[in-house]
Amino acid sequence: MEGLFYNVSNGYVEGIVRGYRNALLTGQSYNNLTQCETIDDIKLQLGPAYGDFLAALPPNPSTSALANKTTDKLVSEFRYLQANATGSLAKFMEYLTYGYMIDNVALLITGTLHERDTRELLERCHPLGWFETMPVLCVATNIEELYNSVLIETPLAPYFKGSLSHQDLDELNIEIIRNTLYKNYLEDFYDFVRTHDDIAGSPTAEVMAEVLEFEADRRSINITLNSFGTELSKQDRKKLYPNFGKLYPEGILMLSRADDVEGVRIAVDGVSDYKNFFDQTGLGQASAGGIGNMAGGMGTDGRSLEDMFYQKEMEISKIAFTRQFTHAVVYAWVKLREQEIRNITWIAECIAQNQKERIGNYISVF
Amino acid sequence: MSGSGAREAVFPTRQSLGLMKSKLKGAQTGHDLLKRKSEALTKRFREITRRIDEAKRKMGRVMQVAAFSLAEVTYAVGGDIGYQVQESAKSARFRVRTTQENVSGVFLPAFESYQTEGNNDFSLTGLGKGGQQVQRCRETYARAVEALVELASLQTAFVTLDEVIKVVNRRVNAIEHVIIPRTENTIKYINSELDELDREEFYRLKKVSGKKERDAHAAELERAEDKDAAMRKEKASEAERHDMLGEEGNEDVIF
Amino acid sequence: MAVPPSQYKDREFIAVIGDEDSVTGLLLAGIGHVTQPPDSQKNFLVVDAKTDTAAIEEAFERFTERKDIAIVLINQHIAERIRFRVDNYTAAFPSLLEIPSKDHPYDPEKDSVLRRVRRLFGE
Repeated sequence: MEGLFYNVSNGYVEGIVRGYRNALLTGQSYNNLTQCETIDDIKLQLGPAYGDFLAALPPNPSTSALANKTTDKLVSEFRYLQANATGSLAKFMEYLTYGYMIDNVALLITGTLHERDTRELLERCHPLGWFETMPVLCVATNIEELYNSVLIETPLAPYFKGSLSHQDLDELNIEIIRNTLYKNYLEDFYDFVRTHDDIAGSPTAEVMAEVLEFEADRRSINITLNSFGTELSKQDRKKLYPNFGKLYPEGILMLSRADDVEGVRIAVDGVSDYKNFFDQTGLGQASAGGIGNMAGGMGTDGRSLEDMFYQKEMEISKIAFTRQFTHAVVYAWVKLREQEIRNITWIAECIAQNQKERIGNYISVF
Repeated sequence: MSGSGAREAVFPTRQSLGLMKSKLKGAQTGHDLLKRKSEALTKRFREITRRIDEAKRKMGRVMQVAAFSLAEVTYAVGGDIGYQVQESAKSARFRVRTTQENVSGVFLPAFESYQTEGNNDFSLTGLGKGGQQVQRCRETYARAVEALVELASLQTAFVTLDEVIKVVNRRVNAIEHVIIPRTENTIKYINSELDELDREEFYRLKKVSGKKERDAHAAELERAEDKDAAMRKEKASEAERHDMLGEEGNEDVIF
Repeated sequence: MAVPPSQYKDREFIAVIGDEDSVTGLLLAGIGHVTQPPDSQKNFLVVDAKTDTAAIEEAFERFTERKDIAIVLINQHIAERIRFRVDNYTAAFPSLLEIPSKDHPYDPEKDSVLRRVRRLFGE
C-alpha cells in the first residue's frame, strides 16, 4: 500500500537522492585520488563531482579548507532536499539535523561555561545543525539563563527536559551532556520512525530501525570502551546507553557491568556482527595490548573497531538504497556523503603529510 | 724605556717587581687553565650543537607523526575537537622539572618531563565516537612533547653554554692580550727603571769615590809636604848631632 | 657561572603559540594549564589567518616573561611572522623552540637557533 502513494508527495526527493547517490565517488575514483601527488591533483580529480565548490579554493589548499568545501556541497544539497520535502519526510529530515544540533549546542554550552564570546563559535558550528534560534543562544551569558530562556526554545528542548537540569550543565562534563542528549535523541528518533502514522510499518521504519539500532549499539560499545580508566562511574555510564538496539536489554546490562575490554566482548557476544568486529580487531583476546591495534600509528592490518563500525554503517547505508519508497535513503545518503568527505579529507591528509602507506585506509562501498 | 704599551701605575721598586712577577706567573697559569676549560666547553658545545641539529630533524618527523594521529582523530570523530579541547584544558598533566648538570664547572640546566597522575582533562573527549583515537593521539603527542622537551633541554644548554664560552673566551683573550702584556710591560718598566737607578747610583758612587780619591790625594800630598818639612828639620838637627858620634865614615868591619 | 636556581625552579609549564591543530594536539598531550581565577591565564594561543601580528607578539612577550613557563613552543610559520622578536630572544629561560606544523613542514634554514649554530661555526 505504502508504495502506491509514496511518490505523490516524496517521489521527487527520492529521485533526487538516488541521483545524488550515483554521483558518490566510486572505488575507481578513490583509486585515482590515492595516486595524486598534491592537493591540487586531488582538486582536479574531484572536479567532476565537486567542481563549483572547489573552484574558490586557493592553489594547494589546506585539508581543512577542502573538507569545509566538500561539506558545503553536502549542506547545499541537503538544504535543497529539505526545501522540497513535505509531510513526514520533512519531519524525518529535521530529525536528521538534530544530531548535528546536539554537537552545536554542546559547543555553545562549552563556550558559555567558559564565558567566551559565543558569537565566534557560530562559524564553528556544523551547518547541518543550524537552527533559527541558534544565534539567540549567544545572547545568554550564564548557564542558568541559557537553560531557562534559550535552550527551551530550541528543538532540542525535549532532550534536555527530564534528564538534565541547569546545575547539571554547570557540573557535568560536556561529553556526558552531549551523550545524554544523543541518547535521548536516538530514542526519540527510534520512537518516531516506529510510531509516526506515515512511517510505521513502512520500509522506512524497517530500515531506519536497523540503522538506529546499529547506531545505538555502536554508541553503547564505544562509550563503554572509552570510559575505562576515566572518572565516569558505572551508574553514570549506564544512563548514557540508549534503551534499544540489538544489545538491549541483556547486552546493555552486561556492558554496564563491564570492567575491561574482555567484559565488553562477552557482552556483545550475542550479536554476531559485533562479535566478528571484536575478533577481527584482535580485541577478542584478553591479551590484546589495548583498545585498537593502531598504537604508534596503526598496526599491520590497520583496522580499528572504529573503522569496522564505519564500514558496517556504510554497508547498511548502501543496502538502504535497495529499498524503495522509503525516507531512509535520505539518511543513508547523508551518511555515505559524510563518509565520502571523511575519505577525501583522509586521503588529502595522507598526501599533504606524506604518509602514503596508510592512504588506503578509507572506506569505499561502491 | 718601556714607553710602548700600557703598564700598571706602580712605583718601580723591587717589591713591586716581585709582585708583578708573581702576578705574571698567576696570569699564565690562569690562562692555561681557562684555555683548557674553554676547550672542554667548546668540545661539549660542538657535541650539543650536533645533537640539536639531529634532534631538530627528528622533531620534524615526530611532529609529523603526531599531526597525522590528529588527522586520524578528525577522521574518527568526524568533526572538530579543537575548540572543546581548548576549553576543557584546566591543569597541566604534562609538566617539566628543571635540573642542573655540571659540565667543567658550568651548570647546564636540563628539563625533565613528567606527567602528573590523576588529572586528565580529556578523558571523556570522544566518548561517543573516536575516543580510542583520541587516546592514541594523546599518547603520540605526549611522546612528541617528550622529544620536544629533550630538544628544549639541549637548546637551553646551547644558549647557556654559548654564553659561558663567550665569557671564558673573553677572559682568555683578556689575559692573553691585555693582562699578560701589561704585566710584562710593567716588569720591563720596573726593570729598566731599576737599571737606570743602578747606573745612576754607580755613577754617583764613582763620582763620590773619584772625589774622595782626589781629596785623599790632596791630603796625602799635604801630609807628604808636612813630612818633608819635618824631615828637613830633623836632618838639620841630625847634622848637628853627626859629629857627636864620629863614626860615620868608618867602614864596616868584615870578618 | 650557574644560573641562580630562582631563575628556573618554578618553571614547570610548556607554553605554545600555534595553529589550531598543533595546539589541539599539544593540549591533548596534557600541557594545557589555566591559572587560578580571576586572571585565568592560559598558556596557549591559537593563531589563525585572522590573528594579527600584534596579538602574537603580545602573547610571545607574555609567555617569555612568565616565571612559571619553562619552554615556549611556537610554530615555525608563526615565528616567521615575528621573526625579529624571535631572533632577538636569547635568554636561556624560558627556552624557545620552533616546531613544525601540519601544513608547514620543518625548515632548518629558518630556525633562529640553528642559524646561530651555523653562524658560530662559520658555515
